[in-house]
Amino acid sequence: MTENKGAPANGSILVVGGGISGLTTALEAAEVGYEVFLVEKNPYLGGRVAQLNQYFPKLCPPTCGLEINFRRLKDNPRIKVLTLAEVTKVSGKPGSYDVSIRINPRYVNEKCTACGDCAAACQTEIDSAFDFGMKKIKGAYLPFDMAFPARYVLAPEIIGTPDASRCKEACRYDAIDLDMPPKTMDLKVGAVVFATGWQPYDAKKIDNLGFGRVPNTITNMMMERLAAPNGPTQGRILRPSDQKPPASVAFVQCAGSRDENHLPYCSYICCMASLKQALYVRAQYPDTAITIFYIDIRSPGDRYEKFYQQVKGDGKVTFVKGKVAAVQEAPNGQVTVTAENAVTGEKTSQTVDLVVLATGMQPSAAVAKLPADLKYTEDGFIINDFQAGGIFAAGCANKPADVISSNQNATGMALKAIQTLATR
Amino acid sequence: MAEAIMLDPDVGFIKEVGKLGGGDLKKCYQCATCSVVCPISPENKPFPRKEMIAASWGLKDKVLASQDIWLCHNCGDCTTRCPRGAKPGDVLGAIRAYAVADYAGFKKLGLMVRDPKKLPLLLAIPAVIFLVAGFLSNLVGLNWLNFAPQGGHALWQADYLNNYLVDIIMIPTFFFAVGVFALGLKRFVAAMHANALAEGKSHRQKIDPAGMIQALIRIVPTIIKHQKFNECTENRERSTAHMLVLFSFVGLFIVTNCFFFAEWVLHIEGPYSQFNPVKWLGNIAGIALVVGSLLMIKNRLAKKTSVSSYWDWYLVWLVFALGLTGMLTQVLRLGGLYGLSAVVYFAHIIAIWCLFAYTPFSKLAHLIYRTTAMAYAEYSGRGFK
Repeated sequence: MTENKGAPANGSILVVGGGISGLTTALEAAEVGYEVFLVEKNPYLGGRVAQLNQYFPKLCPPTCGLEINFRRLKDNPRIKVLTLAEVTKVSGKPGSYDVSIRINPRYVNEKCTACGDCAAACQTEIDSAFDFGMKKIKGAYLPFDMAFPARYVLAPEIIGTPDASRCKEACRYDAIDLDMPPKTMDLKVGAVVFATGWQPYDAKKIDNLGFGRVPNTITNMMMERLAAPNGPTQGRILRPSDQKPPASVAFVQCAGSRDENHLPYCSYICCMASLKQALYVRAQYPDTAITIFYIDIRSPGDRYEKFYQQVKGDGKVTFVKGKVAAVQEAPNGQVTVTAENAVTGEKTSQTVDLVVLATGMQPSAAVAKLPADLKYTEDGFIINDFQAGGIFAAGCANKPADVISSNQNATGMALKAIQTLATR
Repeated sequence: MAEAIMLDPDVGFIKEVGKLGGGDLKKCYQCATCSVVCPISPENKPFPRKEMIAASWGLKDKVLASQDIWLCHNCGDCTTRCPRGAKPGDVLGAIRAYAVADYAGFKKLGLMVRDPKKLPLLLAIPAVIFLVAGFLSNLVGLNWLNFAPQGGHALWQADYLNNYLVDIIMIPTFFFAVGVFALGLKRFVAAMHANALAEGKSHRQKIDPAGMIQALIRIVPTIIKHQKFNECTENRERSTAHMLVLFSFVGLFIVTNCFFFAEWVLHIEGPYSQFNPVKWLGNIAGIALVVGSLLMIKNRLAKKTSVSSYWDWYLVWLVFALGLTGMLTQVLRLGGLYGLSAVVYFAHIIAIWCLFAYTPFSKLAHLIYRTTAMAYAEYSGRGFK
């Protein structure tokens, strides 16, 4: 161990993105003695994993794994966490990069005890992006129960309104600072790891699958929120239109994935996500019938294959080989999905209570380009140029992956970043 | 364990389909999006997903015997939605091109019609036939071929190329085509019926001719109204062009028969007056043919998402040439340019002969096979009205 031995001036590492991959890279590098700046755009750490109900391999609730990481983070003085922060510039060469960071105001300082009095006082309600708009939250909010940092945030929407003053008056700890300015920060670092993760593919673009047009057609990430105890329905899976428990659910695999009109690649996780979500439904509603429409079920590895076999063995879960290519509104809030069963050669239409589109992951860099000299695949995944070195991509910024692979990859990229510094 | 099935792939077939415009066949990964988005595919055993896998496995006989390749109107909706760019619409078009030669017999001629390098030869055949027959007639004193006809009156094309010469060649050619179609249709219907029974697409064990004719009558309005075309989203604009060409062919067929009757039965010599109603029909149909075929060419050139192969171009250009030379012959004659009119007329005659002789081997054969397939689908309970 290199306990208490300060790293050299340019010996620090910048990690962009505070999801599971960024956390892992930051922690792995910091725990062997390197100074790390962890920059996160959201007001909280945990990224996509924080939004899940349960995650592989052990189907733990995300708080389980994240809590351990947050504990490690708190205990480590070498990691400087910047939330609501975005990197605006990266220039230089391996071993010496100049980085600019913009920090947006949280309007809540470190005196916050997360008591919630500000939220109680705030009258404005906004859509919760964390819950994909399925829930309204107050303009002063804690991103989620286990949020790290455990501090409230004032939404920019309420700043300058009487609500902002109400929040400030309600706070007994003088934690609300309405004059908090946006800040910029310049850093010198030796290596950069982008762990900018992914965005759920915009399901509205898949116009034949009805999302946004046909009620009770949701995405797999929305399903995670519906099933999560801290979600809009306190963990009860209910149809959005009438809050009724679904008597039948259809999962539409490859919704926009492996499709050159949308995302041409396989996102790796959606099959396992739907199998997992089928079990969420089964656990809550023993009589609910589930149909999974698929092209191929991709359950890589022994553990995932066993999981697939387990779900396949469930009498209430039916698998239909054939991609759903039409989704239409049916009476009583139901939805009709149509596919050709490629095994029997019959066109089949099913009318169900809830349709879940297994949408894939699009790299965040494909949605908004990063301010660094990076090479991308056609689809926007960052290509790791180990020859050039210095800047690396970890997790889903690099390729579609599950949490396990992301963590393995993130650990590897921590080592790559360290090697960049160590060889100087 | 299901019983083992031995597949007998015909690799040559796969390659040939690729050459005929189905080059992206192998990209298909059988998601079946195509069968669902196809607006005209039946509920029972929809196409084209199963044709895609059968073709990529080289199961030639299975594919060629399927009515479904003809039920397809090449809307292109499947091609647009295909997640892999496998272009099922174009693949089925290529399979149809292959199928035509396969049903028709005269294999060599069939292969020639779909080979662009053989086009000069194919055009030379009628030119030689007409010239040789004309010279022979001159030798025996019939003088059906006249390069410099005399006469103080206005000339017309028959003064150069006698109508006897034209009809004595055209009529057998027409019946040759009818005969080839009859044989092809016999093979096709037998194969299609066997395939439909094997794949559960028919609830009729035997084909009852009366029932088939009734079904044919039921689908005639569908064809006339171009209902299937109009159900498409991607390629709907083709409907107008196709309607123009189809109806002008019908019109010209009527006109040809009227004048044939006038000439050989009533012995009324042409050229016929512009005030004659049959002439009006002829002129309207001729213009519709030129406009329709031009629209087809324009649509094909504009359509970047689907393939237009030689097989497609051969027919649209032939139709255009037919219409253009026909109209031009008349215009030049009315303008007093008799010699030039006769030259264009000769080209027109070649185009007509090609249309007749090569139809059973060309894309135009869809006229027979698609109509039959649609009637059979209707007859056998799959519903294709």
